[in-house]
This record gives sequence, structure tokens and C-alpha cells, in this order.
Amino acid sequence: MDMDAIPANVTRFGLSTIVNSLLKAGNDEWESQPFDFVIDGELVRLPLEQFVLAEGISAEKVLEIEYIRAVAPQKEDEPSLHDDWVSAVDGSCPRFIFTGCYDSFGRVWKAAGECTHILEGHRDAITSVTIVSPEGADSVTVATASKDQSLRLWKFDTEEHLDQPAKIRAYKVLRGHNASVQSVAAHASGNMICSGSWDCTINLWRTNLSDTEGDLVSIKKRKVKNNVEESQMEGEALSTLVGHTQCVSAVHWPEHSTIYSASWDHSVRRWDVETGKDLSNIFCGKALNCLHVGGEGSALIAAGGSDPILRIWDPRKPGTSAPIYQFSSHNSWISACKWHAKSLFHLLSASYDGKVMLWDLRTAWPLAIIDSHEDKVLGADWWKGDSVISGGVDSKLCISSGISVQ
Amino acid sequence: MGASKKESVEVDKKEEEKKNRKKTQRTKKEKLSTEESLLHLKQEDTATDYKVFSEDDASEDYKSVEKSEAGDSESSGDEGFHNTGSNEGLANEGQSEDSEPDQGGEESDSSEDEVAPRNTVGDVPLEWYRDEKHIGYDIAGKKLKKKERQDKLDSFLANVDNSKNWRKIYDEYNDEDVELTKEETKLIRRMLKGKAPHGDFDLYAPYVDWFKWEDSKHPLSNAPEPKSRFIPSKWEAKKVLGLVRAIRKGLIKFDKPKEEPRFYMLWGDDASSSEKTGHLSYIPAPKPNLPGHEESYNPSLEYIPTQEEINSYQLMDEEDRPKFIPKRFMSLRSIPAYENVVKDSFERCLDLYLCPRVRKKRINIDPESLKPKLPGRKDLKPYPATCYLEYKGHKGAVMSISTETSGHWIASGSSDGTVRLWEVETCRCIKVWEFGEVVQYVAWNPLPELPILAVSVGQDVFLLNTGLGNEETQRKVKELLHVATSTVLDDSGNKVSAWSWLQDDKHEGIRLRHFKTVYSVEWHRKGDYFSTLSKKFTQRHPFKLHGLPVSAVFHPTRSIFFVSTKKNVRVYDLLKQKLIKKLENGLRDNVIVGSRDGKLCWFDMDLSSKPYKVLKCHPKDITNVAFHRSYPLFASCSDDCTAYVFHGMVYSDLNQNPLIVPLEILRGHASSNGRGVLDCKFHPRQPWLFTAGADSLIKLYCH
Repeated sequence: MDMDAIPANVTRFGLSTIVNSLLKAGNDEWESQPFDFVIDGELVRLPLEQFVLAEGISAEKVLEIEYIRAVAPQKEDEPSLHDDWVSAVDGSCPRFIFTGCYDSFGRVWKAAGECTHILEGHRDAITSVTIVSPEGADSVTVATASKDQSLRLWKFDTEEHLDQPAKIRAYKVLRGHNASVQSVAAHASGNMICSGSWDCTINLWRTNLSDTEGDLVSIKKRKVKNNVEESQMEGEALSTLVGHTQCVSAVHWPEHSTIYSASWDHSVRRWDVETGKDLSNIFCGKALNCLHVGGEGSALIAAGGSDPILRIWDPRKPGTSAPIYQFSSHNSWISACKWHAKSLFHLLSASYDGKVMLWDLRTAWPLAIIDSHEDKVLGADWWKGDSVISGGVDSKLCISSGISVQ
Repeated sequence: MGASKKESVEVDKKEEEKKNRKKTQRTKKEKLSTEESLLHLKQEDTATDYKVFSEDDASEDYKSVEKSEAGDSESSGDEGFHNTGSNEGLANEGQSEDSEPDQGGEESDSSEDEVAPRNTVGDVPLEWYRDEKHIGYDIAGKKLKKKERQDKLDSFLANVDNSKNWRKIYDEYNDEDVELTKEETKLIRRMLKGKAPHGDFDLYAPYVDWFKWEDSKHPLSNAPEPKSRFIPSKWEAKKVLGLVRAIRKGLIKFDKPKEEPRFYMLWGDDASSSEKTGHLSYIPAPKPNLPGHEESYNPSLEYIPTQEEINSYQLMDEEDRPKFIPKRFMSLRSIPAYENVVKDSFERCLDLYLCPRVRKKRINIDPESLKPKLPGRKDLKPYPATCYLEYKGHKGAVMSISTETSGHWIASGSSDGTVRLWEVETCRCIKVWEFGEVVQYVAWNPLPELPILAVSVGQDVFLLNTGLGNEETQRKVKELLHVATSTVLDDSGNKVSAWSWLQDDKHEGIRLRHFKTVYSVEWHRKGDYFSTLSKKFTQRHPFKLHGLPVSAVFHPTRSIFFVSTKKNVRVYDLLKQKLIKKLENGLRDNVIVGSRDGKLCWFDMDLSSKPYKVLKCHPKDITNVAFHRSYPLFASCSDDCTAYVFHGMVYSDLNQNPLIVPLEILRGHASSNGRGVLDCKFHPRQPWLFTAGADSLIKLYCH
């Protein structure tokens, strides 16, 4: 950009107006929008003068300022109301949103307010949901974990056009936990899922319909109202990872053979699926509620728990278990954190203070605060790469879209 | 040796004298020195003995010796002995002739001696023999007769006649008269004059320095060093020993007597001197303030108050009113007399003698150093500090809370007559039971596989099925709750019991009806037994109690049961069913007891029944206390709307006292009807604290 000099006391807003006016000069149809500015891999959040001082950059140096679109939601969709608290959301499939609710039903939403499927079958509140095979052509497999100590696998066709939400029953019930199941995560291939529970264990399950492996226990014939007979399989855990001493509150299965888990026993563990041993153990000091692995090299572990600090560890760093980033703008427990699928820097966090915050690793302040919930937010996720979905105690599923994350 | 030599010399001289006496015609050149002559007088007898021998066989030899001696004396003249002889040779010639009869007398004396030795009484006072007829004894022991005394007149006449009478001396010892020779008188005369007894002895002879000073490089004596120089002195050692003994006995004292200062401060105007005296020290009265500008007779205008200000003074309290209002006078002459003179001086006098003046001793102690050294709060993390979660839903004061063993659920009983079941993590109220009466106490069964809740409501205790867990546990619980009713009814049906078991269909549980209000329910750690406390007595333990029981707790691991009454805490052994201990006032084995006066007592069961530590921190009643199961924490909550969290570390080393550090004051509850926090319970696995407030809230404080 052919600019000679800008005043030192210019702020982010000033820089933004300069860039907007320049773009407008090049393109008449340009609509001005907020920008963020990156100097030396650091987002500008102060007047330039102070920023330079704070960063210790020589005043003689010519600063290269990179501008990117500000990451902030442009649009708030009308919240989709549930019958009870929304305990979990999953937006890993761009075609729909999958939510779990305390009324023991899972719901599939095509868009805001458009519920296409209702998953019935759990006898207690759903605590965690995951989409097992998002890429499936017509039918999609999803998994839910519930306080009734079981997990259920469901299959439905997303392309069905229905006036009324279709009611679906699970095709497989996974029993084996001795306490309420707190978290569930799916393997990328969609063949396996893992679940963490209050009985301190992590169980691995198969998702396949076929019972060649012999994990089929029984097929129950049930009579539903209209005398349609449905088959329901029961599955047993393939293997159990034992090591945590308290409730396993979050699991994540990003790679083929590695499972990450976070627990109330203050530790984050990395498990080798093949051997069933934990490879590494990061001690946090707080009871943890959520965990997600992503970011640079898909290796950074973000976790939040029973305090308002979102911590990010780099397990590749040898010899230290100190978090490399700590974001502490929340006021209460953190209930969810998710990395953006594409970006190396962006992640979101949801907290019991009713806020969802968007973070960039390059700055210590949140990029945006989505304050659409009136009570605790229990789950949040990215959707379609440019939206944030969140569900909470106010029984709402909120969708904030128009977030431009490069 | 020396003595014998002298003897021999004397012998020589005696013999010489003998020769002198015998051969008077020969010129006598040799004379005796005075001493020797005196000696001679005494030892004449021995000399004569020698003479007797010598005369017989060696007289001629003696002559030759004498000759040679004379020759020597003439030639050398060195020795005074011979000198005198030579000098007085002429004078002696006549004398010797005169003294011939005397010598004969002497000879007779000596002959007498030869026959009868002289007096041998020795040196005794002679008056002992004055009245005796003898003067003593001779050598053979025979008495020596006194001589016949001459008539005094005769003797006087004889003396007058005798020209030599003046030389005679009476020798009382031997009872005889001795006549002095000329030499002897001479000698006496010289001595009387104070001269040297010998005339030719030169007192002032020139000193001959025989020592050769030149080239004498070596010590005078070449003798080897005597041994005495190398061995410690015996006498010194004895002296030192004596001194040491004297010191030990205290005869020698080392501290010197204090010196009285010759000069002292007459006016004693420094503080230390007055203190030293030890009397009541004089404390000077505080000086009155010096007058300022405003008290000048002609102060600057800014000091003079306006009329409004003066009026405002009247409205002020008398204490605050300024004592003096500045005024302006044109000259000193126009100043009136000060009207308050008498009053002021009177007040000053009152101040001086009525206000006790005390000298304050300032102690220079750093208050920080008085504090016990405690580890910092940061080192004792984790402990509950911040409230993040609130459990809302109750309509009345939350009387009691209880946590499930896994820490997933809590139950709470409230004065609005409901028991609620909450999910800890999300604050969701899972279940509500309505009782319509104040719920006093809730308690979870400690067994995780039996999710049963015991609730005391009024006169009843309900055992409730929480409905948690899978079908199997539900079935078990239902079975248990049903079967229990019938069996126990059978057991206690024939007794007149204070309670009765009833099936409660409304709440799907068991109802135990007591005759009196039930205050508290407590489960045994195995979940098989529970205790209830009612107004009159407790059941399930046939112990006699004095005073009304307030609270009862089972020991977490041992079969011990604690009951606190209004006066003290009693400890019972459940196996033997007897009282073990009584803790006054109010785990190794530590028990904490909160009392109604806001004191928190820490008892060490192994030590004594007196509290190890009393923490008085709550200004109001302590409503409940709690230990954490795994973390070294304990907490107390009080009606002053606070809960205190303490670090209570007990060491396995018995010598080390438990460490108690106050960590945090948890505020946040609001007071309602004068009650604050009614219950506190630790999360069973996390360092979190639940507090139940009278403001119908339950709060969770996290680390």
C-alpha cells in the first residue's frame, strides 16, 4: 500500500477509516466495514503510539500493518426455542445444527427456527452431542450422550422435506457406563466414538450398523403406538480407558489414534487408542469442563473449566505444562471452547456468565462478545465457518452469522 | 672443713701462747686478734689438752713451725694478724713481763680445768644459783662450790691497794675474778670510740677490683643450668593453690566495690536519672500553648471573625466552640482586663492536679514479629475463594444441604417445605419434593449405589428415593425402601418405641414418625445406619445424654459417634456402646466444634478434652462446621453471613502440631431474619464449598 505516513496517535478505528477510504477510492461500490490490523503477528488493540511502546518496537522502524476483516458477527438470527435447557450444540455439518436438550430430546435444525428432526429415546437429559459422519451423502449419523448412563446413535436423512419435525428413534443404544455420560466425541472416519462419564472412564464404541464384530447384544423389538416394529441394537464398549479419577467432562478425538480428555480431576490427558495408555498428562489445577484441540498444527489444546480463564497449551513444547495462552475475560465457569476449523488463530469460548467470546491468539482481548443469552451458555460451536451457534439455560439456540474468519 | 681448719689454726695459736708463757724471755712477736683471744678464753681447756699432747711428742716441730711463721710474717706482712704482732711488738714486751703472775694464775686455772672442768650449767639465769652453795656442776656432774666471799671491807681495801684493780672483772658464771690484759682494754676502748676493734684495720682501704673486665665474653660460671630452673616451683604452686582455695571459699573477692559518684546531677533534668532514683518520678505538666497571632491585642484582619461567624459559634456545641474570639484594640491601654483569668487559671489548676499524668513506656517491638509465622495463602491453594455458581429456586431459607458422594448432585432442604435436588455443574434443579413443613435436615446416603436421601421434616424422617442411577439401582432402591418398612415394623412392633416406620406413598419412601421434632439426620459411613436427633433423645444409640442434643456426627472411618449437646460433645464407641470421651465446651482424630458464641474449637482426640485451638472469628453464632474429606480444609459458617475457610493440616509426625491457617472469608449471602449462612458443606472431591443461606440461595465457592 502506497502510504507514506500516518499519525502515531491513530487508533484501530482511525486505521480502519483510512483503509476504508482508500478502498472506496479504488472501488466506488465499497461499503465501509471494520478492519483489524496486525503488526508483527500481533493485533492492534491500542493507539499505535502505545502499541509500539508496549511491543518495544523501535520508533525508527517502518511498520508494516496488515489489515484483515474484523471478526465480529454481523447478524443475529432469531433464537430457536427449545422446551428445556440446551445442553449441547454441534455445528460440524454445514447442512444442519444438532442440539441436545435437557428434555431428553435431540433436535436437528436446518436453520434458525427450522427444526427438521427430533430424536426421541433417552430417559434423561442429553449432556453431549456429536455428529459422527458429517460427510455422509444422504443419511447422517449422530451420537448423543445422556444422564441416563447411555449413549444413543441415530441416523436420519437431512434432505427430507417435512412440514412437521420427524421423530426418530435411535438405531443403537450404547450401555456400559455406570454413571451419567458427560461427553461424547467421534472419530473422523465415523466408525468409532468415545465417551467420557462420571464413572471416571472413557469408553470407545463402534458405530457401525452391522454386527459382524459380535458387539451386538440384543435386538429389542418394540411396539410403538402405530404398531410399527423397530429394531434397536445394544452395543457394548469396545474398550475402556481408565486413568482419570473424577468425572471425564470432555473428550476429543482429532486424530486416528489419539484421544484427548479433560476431567474434573484437574488434568488433561492424551490417550493412545491402540494401547489404551495415557501418553501425556497436563495438570491444570482446576476442574475442567471443556476441551478442544486445534489451531496451529492441530495440536494446541484449549480447555476451560471451573474458573473464568480459557487456557491453551502447546503439548509439543517440551518440559513445561504451563499454558502458552490464558484468556481471562469471562466472569464465570467456561462451558465450551471450540477452535475454528480453518483458521489457525481463532477460537470461541462460552461461559456461565451468558457470553460467547471470539478469540484470536494474537491478542489478549476478545475479538467479539456475543451476549445474546440471558443465562448460562452450556454449549457453543462454529457453524459453516462463519457463524457461531450457542445454546444455554434460557432454552435458546442462538445463531450469530456473518463472521469473516480467513 | 672450714671449721676444722680454724681449729687447727687456733691450736697453733694456743701453742704459741704456751710458748709465750713458758719462754717469756723470748720476744713475742705474735699477737692474737681480739676475737681469737676471747675464743681462747673460752676454749682454753681444749687448747691445753692439745698442748698436753703436743708438748710431749712434737714440741720441737712446733718451734720450727713457729719460726717459719715468724719468717713468713716478716717477709710478706700481708695478713693483719701478723702485722699487729709486728706493730705492737715493743709495747707487748713490758706487758708480758707484768702479766706473768696472772699467767701463772691462769695457768693454775687451766690446771684447775685440767683437774676439774669448769661450770657446765650452760646458758641459764645465774640467779637460780644465787642462794645455793654451788655455782653449778663440772663436766663430771660434781657441784662446784662457791668461793668463800671476802669481807667487803677487806676486799675494798685490797682493791684500793692494788693498782691493777680496775682491770679486774668478776665472772659470775665461774665465780672468779678475771683481769683484763692491756690489749683487751685497748680493744674495749676502741670499740667504745666506735672505731674498728683492730687499730690497724683500715675501713677505707682502696677497693681492688679483682675481676678482669676486658675480653671476658663468657659467663662467669660455666656450670650447667641447675635443675631447679626447669621444674615448676613447688612454692609457687603452693601459693597459687592457697589463692585458689581462698577464692573458692570466697575470702578473695574480685568485684570491686562500687564507686560512689562524687558528683551528681543536682537538678536531675535528664529522664534517666530520675528513673534511677526509684522514687515516684516527677512528670512535668504539659505546657500551655503559646499565644498565636490571633491572641494579639491588634491581630491582622483575617484573624478577626465576622459577626456571622460569631453568631454561628453560638449554635455550635460548647465543646467545639472556640475558646477565644480575637478582638482588635487600638492601643495596649484600651485592653480591658481579661474576664476569664480566674476561670482559666482555676481550670489549669484542675488540669494539673486532677488529670493523672502517666509516663507511657513505649515498647519497641515490631508488631509483625509477634505474629506467628504462617505459610502464605498462595502456598496453600487450592481452597474455595470465589463464588461462581448459585442455585436458585428455594422460596425460603435453605436449612441444610448435603452432597452426593461423587459430587455430582447436592440436595437441599428449605424452610419453604421443599427438598430440592440439584446438579452441581449446571445448577439445574432436578427434582423437588414438597413436604409442607420446614425441612430441618437432609443427608445423602454415603453409598454411591444407593442414592437415598434422608430428610427430617417436623416429627418425621423421610427416606427418599432420588430416582438417580440406572434401572438396576432404581430397582434395588425401591426394593430396599419397601422391604425395610415391613421388617423393621416387625422388629419394633412389640416395643413401645419412640418412632414408627411407615410407608410413604406420596414420596415413594419410608416415613419414620417420632414423637418430637427431629433436628438432624446423619448417616453412618457405610450407609447401613443413620442417626436421628429429636428434641428429647436420639435413637439408634441407647446412650444417655445430659442436656439437649444439638448435632450428631459419625466418624468418617472409625466406629465412633459424636453427639454434641448444648454443653459438651460426647464421643461414643459404637461397637462397645459406651462413652469414650467428653469434649468440653461445647481427627489423627480432630474434631471441630462450632459453638453458639462464635467460637470455633479444634479438638485433637489424642491429646485432651480441651480444645487445641479456639478460633474466635465469627461475631455471631456459628451454624455449621465442615471438614473436607481429602483436602486439608475445614470451614465454618455463621449467622453473620460469612463462611470462613481454614487450612487445617495434620501431620503424621506426632510431634508436629496441626497447622491451622485462616484462608478466606466467603461473603455473598444476605441476612434474612437475623440469620445468615445456615449450612456449609464441602464438595466431596473438589476444593469447593457449598453454603446455604437464609436468603434462599445456595452458593458454590470454587478455588
